[in-house]
Amino acid sequence: MRKNETGWRIAFQKALLASVTLFIALAYAQQPSTKNGEWPHYTADLKGTKYSPLDQINASNFNKLEVAWRFKTDNLGTRPEYKLEGTPIMVKGVLYTTAGTRRSVVALDPKTGELMWVYSLREGQRAAIAPRQLSGRGLSYWTDGNGDDRVLFVTTGYRLIALNAHTGQPISGFGKSGMVDLKEGMVTGAGQQIDLETGEAGLHSTPLVVKDVVIVGSSFKEGMTVVTHNNTKGLVRAFDVRSGKLLWTFNTIPRPGEFGNETWENGSWSTNGNTGVWTQMTVDEDLGLVYLPVESPTSDFYGGERPGDNLFGESLVCVDLKTGKRKWHFQVVHHAIWDYDLSSAPILADINVDGKAIKAVALPSKESYLYVFDRVTGKPVWPIEERPVPQSDVPGEKTSPTQPFPTKPPAYGRNFLKIPDDLIDFTPQLRAQAKDAVARYKTGPMFLPPIVGNSNLLGALNLGNASGGTNWPGAGYDPETHIVYAQAHQSALFPISLRTPPQGFSDIHYVMGRNDTDFRVSEGPGFGSAADAPQPKRAPAPAAPAAAPAGGLTVQGLSIVKPPYGVISAIDLDRGDLKWQVPYGETPDAVRNNPALKGMNLPNTGQPGSVGLVVTKTLVILGDSQVTTTPTHPRGAMLRAYDKGTGKEVGAVYMPAPQSGSPMTYMVDGRQYIVVAVSGGAYSGEYIAYALPPEE
Amino acid sequence: MSKRLLACVAALSGIIAAQSERSVWDGVYTTEQSKRGETLYANNCASCHGSALGGGESAPPLSGGEFFANWSGLTLGDLFDRIRVSMPADRPGKLTREQNADVLAFILNVNQFPPGKTELEHQSEVLKQIKFEAEKPKK
Repeated sequence: MRKNETGWRIAFQKALLASVTLFIALAYAQQPSTKNGEWPHYTADLKGTKYSPLDQINASNFNKLEVAWRFKTDNLGTRPEYKLEGTPIMVKGVLYTTAGTRRSVVALDPKTGELMWVYSLREGQRAAIAPRQLSGRGLSYWTDGNGDDRVLFVTTGYRLIALNAHTGQPISGFGKSGMVDLKEGMVTGAGQQIDLETGEAGLHSTPLVVKDVVIVGSSFKEGMTVVTHNNTKGLVRAFDVRSGKLLWTFNTIPRPGEFGNETWENGSWSTNGNTGVWTQMTVDEDLGLVYLPVESPTSDFYGGERPGDNLFGESLVCVDLKTGKRKWHFQVVHHAIWDYDLSSAPILADINVDGKAIKAVALPSKESYLYVFDRVTGKPVWPIEERPVPQSDVPGEKTSPTQPFPTKPPAYGRNFLKIPDDLIDFTPQLRAQAKDAVARYKTGPMFLPPIVGNSNLLGALNLGNASGGTNWPGAGYDPETHIVYAQAHQSALFPISLRTPPQGFSDIHYVMGRNDTDFRVSEGPGFGSAADAPQPKRAPAPAAPAAAPAGGLTVQGLSIVKPPYGVISAIDLDRGDLKWQVPYGETPDAVRNNPALKGMNLPNTGQPGSVGLVVTKTLVILGDSQVTTTPTHPRGAMLRAYDKGTGKEVGAVYMPAPQSGSPMTYMVDGRQYIVVAVSGGAYSGEYIAYALPPEE
Repeated sequence: MSKRLLACVAALSGIIAAQSERSVWDGVYTTEQSKRGETLYANNCASCHGSALGGGESAPPLSGGEFFANWSGLTLGDLFDRIRVSMPADRPGKLTREQNADVLAFILNVNQFPPGKTELEHQSEVLKQIKFEAEKPKK
C-alpha cells in the first residue's frame, strides 16, 4: 500500500511537472513575434535585427503607399516636441509608443491611430533637470502569456514604470505603486548615493525585456564642458518584471576586486563617472547572454583625470542574463577621448564563415566599423589588430599607444579625413578653398587626439566620431541572408579643441573650447526642454562679447568633404565584405541649387545625418534626414525603399518632415503598415502610418 | 466705381502684393538689430547650436545647407514661431518677442542675407509675409 502511494505520488509529480512544462511552453509560444506580423521590440526582436518577414509592401507597390493615419504629439506635454525619436511596438493588435515633451505613453489602434489610452507622470523638477529629455526612443512589452500584459518604460526623471497594457494603469505590485526609482543605487565617487531629485541620471533608450527580466541602462549629461569628472557612475541593472525587485547590477566602472578595476590608474575609478549604457542592448535568450554597448567615461574629450584604459568605457560587454556576471568584453577604444561611445544595438547573427557556423554578435559604430565577434567566446571573427595611433600633447593626458582596427569587414563609411582625397572636388577652385580651410586645423589619421587649440590651429579635425557613422538608430540585419544593412553619416567633421575651464567652473583640467575665445557651456540635445522645465521671468540678457568666428568647414556653402555625405551599405557577414554601397537619400537643395555648381551634372550626393531603417523580406526602408524641394516632389522629405539585393532605390513616398525616429512595420487584419516618427524644423512631432490603398 | 477709385484699389493691391512677395533677400532687418541679436545668441543659443551656428551633436545647425533645407520655402514667421515656442531649449519662452526677432536678425546676418533700413518685426503674422528663400529670387 505504501509502495502504491509512493508510486501515485511520483506519477502525480511527473504529471504536474509535465503540465507546468507544457504551460510554460504554451505561454512562451504565445510570446509576441515578428513572425505573426507584430513588432514587439524597439529593434523588432531581442537580437537587434529590425527585420520583419512581411512583404505585402514591396518594390512593385511602394510608390502607391498612402497615409493610413497620423498621430500628432503636440499636446502630450506643455509644448510641442520637434525631436520625436520614438519607434512604436505593435503587439496583439495594439500599438504602443512614447511621445511628447512629457514622455507620455500612448496606446493606439494600429489600423486607425485612434488613441486608446494615455499615461503620463508629472515629475516636476526631477524631469526638468534630467540629462535625457523629450519623448525618448520608446518602450517595451511583457506578457506572461496568460493575460498579465505589461508595458514598461523609463520616465524622463529616470523611473522604471510598469503599466497594464490593457488599461494604461500602473501595476500596483511592481516596485512602489507601479514604479521603481532608478536613481536609488546610483552613486558618485566611491559610493555616495546621488540625490533622488537633483542627482544626474536618465535614459532615452527602451528597457530590455527578456523572459521575466527587465534590464535598464543609464546615461548622463553631455561630456563636452563638464562641471566635474566625478559625476554619477554608469551601471546596468536587471529587475524582476513581475515585482520590480532588483536582480543584479553590473558596474560599468568596476569596483576594487572586480575585473578591470586596475585599468583606472591611481584609483581613478573612484573619482570619475559616466560610462553608462545609453543605447539599446540585445540578448541571446537561448544562451542566456546579454550584450551591453558601453559609452565613454567622463569627459568626452579629456581623460587626464583617469589614466589607463578605463574599462568598460567604450567596450562591448557580455554578461550572464541570470547573474549579470561578466562573460567577456572587447574594448573598442582604449582610454576614450573622442566621444565614439558605443552607439548602436549589437546585432546577433548566426553566420557561416569558411564553412564554420558561428553564433556572432556584430556591433555597428560611429567609426563605421562593424566589429564582429563570436558571441559565446568574445573572440573576433576576423582579426582585430592593435595598431599605433597618434599621441596627445595635452598636458596631463596619457593616450593609449594603440587602438583596435578590424581587418574585416572594411569600414562602411568614412572614419577620418584623408587629405586631399576626401576634400570636395567638384571644381579645382573648390578643392583649393577646402585645402585652405583645413590648413587651419590639425589633421591626421583616425584617433587624432584633441589639442589645445588657438586662433592659428583651431582644433584636431576628426571625422566619424561624435555624430558620425551609425549613431543611436543603429543598423538592421536579415537573418536569412546574413546581410547587415547600415546607414552611415560620412561627412560628420568634428574639430576638437580643449581649453582650461574658467576658474571655479569645474574640477577637470580641460573642457571643450579655446582659451582665446569666450567660454561657452555646451548643452546636450533637448536639455531642459522637458514639459516641467521652468519658464523663468523674462529679463534682458547680460551683455556678452561677440560669438566666435565661424570654423570654416564649408566652402561656398558646401561641405569641405566630398560626397557622398551619407551612404547605405549591405555587409555580408559570411564573407566579411561589402556587398553594395549606395548614397543615402537624395542631393540636398543647398548642393543641387548651389551657384558654384551651376550647370554641372551632379551625381546623387546623398544626405548627411544618422537615421534608422527597417529590413523586410525584400526591402530596406528608411527616410530622408533633410527636407528637399525637387521637380518630382513638393517641399518635404521622402521615405525610401531600397532593393535589398542591389541597393537600387525602388520606391519613395512623401513625408512632410525628415525622419526623426527609426521606422517599424506590422500587419493587422491582412494589411501591412509602416510607421515612422517625423519632426524637425518647423514641423513638430508626428507618427505617420503608411499602407497600401485598401483596393490594392 | 470711378477710375480714380479703381486706380487706388489697384495701387493698394500692388502694395499688398509687393509686401507679400518680400523675402529674406529684401533687407528685412538692420545691422544694429543683428548686433543685439548676436549678444542674445551668445548667451542663450550658442551652448547647443555652437558659437559659429554650426550646430551641436544633435542641435541642428543654424547656418548652411541643413539649415536652409529646414526652412527654405517657408516664412520667417514659421522660423520665428519655432524659436518663440521651443527655444532656448532649457527655458522656452525666456526671450521676449523683440529679443527673438533680434536673434533671428543675427541668424539672417550670419547666413549673409542683406541687412536693410527697417528692423525685423516681432509679430508672427507680419513675419509670415516674408519668405525664407535659400536662393535669391530672380526679379
